[in-house]
Amino acid sequence: MDFHKLIERDFVLLDGAMGTMLQQKGMAPGTIPETLNITHPDWIRDIHRQYIDAGADIIYSNTFGANRKKLADTPYTVSELIESAVALGKSAAKGTDTLVALDIGPVGQLLEPNGSLRFEEAYNIFAEMIDAGVRAGADLIVLETMTDLYEMRAALLAAKERSTLPVVCTMTFEENGRTFIGTSIESMAISLSALGADAVGINCSLGPAEIAELIPKLLEYLPVLAVAKPNAGLPIPESGDYSIGPEEFAIQMQRIAASGVKLLGGCCGTTPDYIRAIRNAVNGITFTRTAPLKDFRVCSATKVVDANRVRVIGERINPTGKKRFKEALLHHDIDYILKQGLEQCRAGADILDVNVGHPEIDEPAMMVTVIKALQSVVEAPLQIDSSDKKTIEAALRVCNGKPIVNSANGEDEVLDSVLPLVKKYGAAVVGLTLDRSGIKKSAEERFLIAEKIVKRALSYGIPKEDICIDCLTLTASAEQEAAMETIRAVSMVKKRLGVKTVLGVSNISFGLPNRALLNRTFLTLAIGAGLDLPIMNPNNDDMMGAIRAYALLSCQDLHADAYVQAYSNAEAAPIPVAQSNKMTLFEAVKNGLKDEAAKIAAFLLESCEPMEVINTMLIPPLDEAGVLFEKGKLFLPQLIQCATAAQAAFDVIKTKIAASGGASVSRGKIILATVKGDIHDIGKNIVKVLLENYGFTVIDLGKDVDPEHIVDTALRLSVPLVGLSALMTTTLKSMADTIALLHERNVPCKVLCGGAVLTPEYARQIGADFYAKDAKESVDIAKQVFGVS
Amino acid sequence: MDEILLSHLPVSEILRYLNCSSDDQKMRILAKSCAEELCKTARPRTLRHTFPIALEDNSVIIGKNALLLPGQDLMHVLKGCTKAVLFCATLGTSVDLLIRREQLCDMTRSVVLDSCASTAIEIVCDQVEKAVQEEYPESYLSARYSPGYGDLPVSVQKDFLALLDAPRKIGLCATDTNILTPRKSVTAVIGLSDQPLKKIKKNCATCLIRERCAFRKKEEHCGLSQTD
Repeated sequence: MDFHKLIERDFVLLDGAMGTMLQQKGMAPGTIPETLNITHPDWIRDIHRQYIDAGADIIYSNTFGANRKKLADTPYTVSELIESAVALGKSAAKGTDTLVALDIGPVGQLLEPNGSLRFEEAYNIFAEMIDAGVRAGADLIVLETMTDLYEMRAALLAAKERSTLPVVCTMTFEENGRTFIGTSIESMAISLSALGADAVGINCSLGPAEIAELIPKLLEYLPVLAVAKPNAGLPIPESGDYSIGPEEFAIQMQRIAASGVKLLGGCCGTTPDYIRAIRNAVNGITFTRTAPLKDFRVCSATKVVDANRVRVIGERINPTGKKRFKEALLHHDIDYILKQGLEQCRAGADILDVNVGHPEIDEPAMMVTVIKALQSVVEAPLQIDSSDKKTIEAALRVCNGKPIVNSANGEDEVLDSVLPLVKKYGAAVVGLTLDRSGIKKSAEERFLIAEKIVKRALSYGIPKEDICIDCLTLTASAEQEAAMETIRAVSMVKKRLGVKTVLGVSNISFGLPNRALLNRTFLTLAIGAGLDLPIMNPNNDDMMGAIRAYALLSCQDLHADAYVQAYSNAEAAPIPVAQSNKMTLFEAVKNGLKDEAAKIAAFLLESCEPMEVINTMLIPPLDEAGVLFEKGKLFLPQLIQCATAAQAAFDVIKTKIAASGGASVSRGKIILATVKGDIHDIGKNIVKVLLENYGFTVIDLGKDVDPEHIVDTALRLSVPLVGLSALMTTTLKSMADTIALLHERNVPCKVLCGGAVLTPEYARQIGADFYAKDAKESVDIAKQVFGVS
Repeated sequence: MDEILLSHLPVSEILRYLNCSSDDQKMRILAKSCAEELCKTARPRTLRHTFPIALEDNSVIIGKNALLLPGQDLMHVLKGCTKAVLFCATLGTSVDLLIRREQLCDMTRSVVLDSCASTAIEIVCDQVEKAVQEEYPESYLSARYSPGYGDLPVSVQKDFLALLDAPRKIGLCATDTNILTPRKSVTAVIGLSDQPLKKIKKNCATCLIRERCAFRKKEEHCGLSQTD
């Protein structure tokens, strides 16, 4: 018997709880259950046998928590416990058709960005377990009880890359259809099936009655087999027991089975009696399931985007033609890039295009950094925009959910290198209608390339609904007649190939006056011709307006709800009058008014030199605020407000300087980092804002930073001042280690330390040059180090 | 898991965490708006379990050797108790996301939100304590005591959480360096006694940040300590 043969049956029964049974056998609280594979093998074998007798087709080996993190304090190795567990399962199943699954649960630590466990480390932890399970001869792999799609992704990727075994994935949800981490059922279903899971579903969490309510959503989005393995009802707080018995459990499971779920079992609180009851309840029922719709769908862990109406792909995360963005890439100013992402989402972008290609940076590494950072703050699914295969693969590995890859084109080499990656990682793909000979003039020629791309993608096993075609926008000022060819091509591709269409719109108006008018008109024409996914600037109200209007006119926005919501207040709102002439920059900063500060700065720059604005108008109010803060007359939030206002003004100045190609206004480079093992970063970030206000360039290495990384960065960028933050007594050791390494490697820099548990004495003791009690003092120290006033 | 609802956070408490004057109207408005957003965002989850305890030479034994909590300070707090409730509480990852996002958009707001979250998790803990008292109306409760206080090391976090099955039941975990994640979370012990307990408050005399405490400088206290 193998898994693929087994699923030809109407229903496949999984086993019930292992933990509950072990408790009944007398497992002491605090015991690591997997150690019983060695100490009480008879218990484990007996439990497996009971489940097999009750009718389980698949038993889960006792390996749920057999990972290196959880076993760290035991005398056993991962492979020892996994090999013994699988062997016990196989000996119990001997002479039956029952399959033995390698069972893998969560690591027990939260992954980045919620915790400090890195995606790559999680992958390695799971890979070690999978290697052991494969060696031991497991029949399939079960990944269960996960609450973080990112962790599940690491495990599934390891399972697919290190074995050829079938994989069953189940996650744990609350009644609102979300996990603790926020992963939605839809996102789980879409992304895990795309990544190659054989069956996907829900385990643990709730009782069968509550899970039955979540099943329709699972089935709607899931193209592979569905699984349900609920608890024996809800927990009873007083006794710690679960609320329903085998009969009631089976009645609910019958309902779940009848709705189209093939794999059925029990989790916490269930015993062989429950499995026997399910077996009896589904006897004689024929499995039927309505096939789910095949639609274009991409997702993050928390948000699904379809293309049932026009969806906007935000284009702003891209250095092309943007000096300020290039500067951010070169200075590793990730926050600037994140702000671009957040701003676009707030303006209505459904998906964010991510392009970080620049000759002077390591593109794959930067792409990984930016994708991880973006998905820690935005919900929008991402579009990986690169022509470099290495970058695309690096991005696909770490991108949570189901992204789009932008882009392939009609060239064989490109298709044959990008499409296998798209298939492997279960992404959607954009194909550009060009090839070695460039962009074709006529719509017919572009259509032929589109046809070739679609055929090739299908041949790689990429579903048609995941293929998008970009018919390419040419600049109207250079090739006027090409504009309508593009529109025609969009229409042909949409109608004849039946795939989704993507188009970067704004290029049409390059070099012409009143670009907004041309952009909007071209966008409207393209949408009318069938454009699904415009790549554009969502901060452009005119273009967003055209999309909203189209959605209304085409009945995509039923009852005009979205349209009315967007515009009902528009006419009533008074147009804000710029008060640049009434308030001074000094006042704006002192009162913490950031919008005002930005506006006034822009106004001032028309007549003053940037350095003059900084020195005479930005710094003085900050100094004044700093003095008041020291005297206890101004409090931290107010100091930050002033700093934020000054920063808004500073941003305007920086953009202006970057645009004019002028020299940077930096007063010096400072590294900031929260030390290894520590994940508190709000204090460090406050210090950063203040330092930036005083014109220092802050290289923010983030939190939980390796000493090596700090040393390397300080050397590579010749940074004279390194600021370290630690908030725990237990992580002060890391601070000491970092300083020791800086000294050992003779890094010519001063070290500044801060953090709640740190004392000036301790700072001195571990070799720091300075101790700062707060953000204000950090600025004073920086000024001293760089010799500026 | 007790049902915990966060509907309101006291503004004065939020401002106190920020070391701000509670007379500042602008700050009060900001704190109120942040408090509302925090309450909407947080998904408090708690877990608790009552264990028999035994006080040994230099540690408290929870259950039948299920967990060892070392140090003199907790023993002191639990003196006279025969049982103890181990509990944990978290506001969930949604609060961390909110604060992370706000740090990019509005640093001031993120600092105030962070303070709201600290206030909120204390309120959640108070509610757990109330539920414990309701469950044991005849018992006297000791002060809440958490890993990291006094000589009870944070290195017990992992086993503490595992004993309550917290990672699976409420998604509360610890990093390798014993930081609780989600960030706004608490683990604590409350002792149960049949006899009235001598109130032992954590006090400034033994506090780690005694010399730098902003409250103490203003001749106030942090709320955990009533005496000096």
